[in-house]
Amino acid sequence: MQMSKIVRLSADIMYPFVVIFGLYVIMHGHITPGGGFQGGAVVATGAALVIVAYAFHDVKAMIPKILLYLQESGGLLLFIGAGLAGMLLGFPFFFNWLANSGSLFGTPIVPLGPNPGELNTGGFLPLMNIAVGIEVWGGLTLVILYMISGVGKEEY
Amino acid sequence: MKRNLTILLLIILAGMLLALAAGFTYGTPLASDMDDYFIRFGQAQIDTNNIVTTIVFDYRGFDTLGESTVLFTAVIGVSLMFRRFFGGEDDADE
Amino acid sequence: MIELVVHFLVLAGLVVSAVLTFYFRDLLAAALASGLFSFLISLEFYILQAPDVAISQAGIGAGLTTAIFIIAIRGTRRFEEGTE
Repeated sequence: MQMSKIVRLSADIMYPFVVIFGLYVIMHGHITPGGGFQGGAVVATGAALVIVAYAFHDVKAMIPKILLYLQESGGLLLFIGAGLAGMLLGFPFFFNWLANSGSLFGTPIVPLGPNPGELNTGGFLPLMNIAVGIEVWGGLTLVILYMISGVGKEEY
Repeated sequence: MKRNLTILLLIILAGMLLALAAGFTYGTPLASDMDDYFIRFGQAQIDTNNIVTTIVFDYRGFDTLGESTVLFTAVIGVSLMFRRFFGGEDDADE
Repeated sequence: MIELVVHFLVLAGLVVSAVLTFYFRDLLAAALASGLFSFLISLEFYILQAPDVAISQAGIGAGLTTAIFIIAIRGTRRFEEGTE
């Protein structure tokens, strides 16, 4: 059971734009409004568009379930691992060990007040945004995918 | 009669809530010590512009860890409930 | 001045979409009215200068909740049965 051809074609056209916008919100989460949770929810909305438009058998071939499991688990592990990595260097748990360090994501250029912003700042905030974004993307897509798997089946 | 009394009570309660809300002036919170600290020192300490993300992921990082764990647990619960409908070759051991 | 007009229009649209959600007997139209309610309340958050909450509400409320309602309607019947 799938929706009409107009709905399927619209979902196909809209899907890349929604995903690109969600990835933009995730990557710029430490400069512009938004962040990992919001960007992951936007990407999952794009996936839900395709899942609602097509039948379950087509969706199951399109989206591999093991990839979503790996995203969900890997996002949470990356989140905890970025917090634990500071403890190896002698800092407390969840200390921002990359801020103002001059290396990756650590360019110390931010003055007080309004300024244009720089992508290479923020310490481990971009790492946390990417981790939470990957986790929310996989998790919410998995919820929608499991919910559409029960449509039209009577056994329980 | 009882229905009219219920509606009247609801209107009175809503009016009291609005009167309470009209007493505050927006833009000037009563206790703003934490806000002033975050706005004053957030950009220099965490080295970025977005104060909201700074608070969510750094100053209050444990809250975000709990939120991620809640989402993970919810997805595990949904996948356990709907597992028999999914089918497929990797669930053939049931 | 223009902000106040947009503000009142959004608040009126909130009330109208909330009433429409209860009025429709077609459950698909009711789900879409609920999605319109979520979209308008996200616009209201944006007017009140909370863009983080606005993006979150637009993603979760207007996107995923409407998708879950549509999936539930596909699994059951489309029209609500009258009680009176």
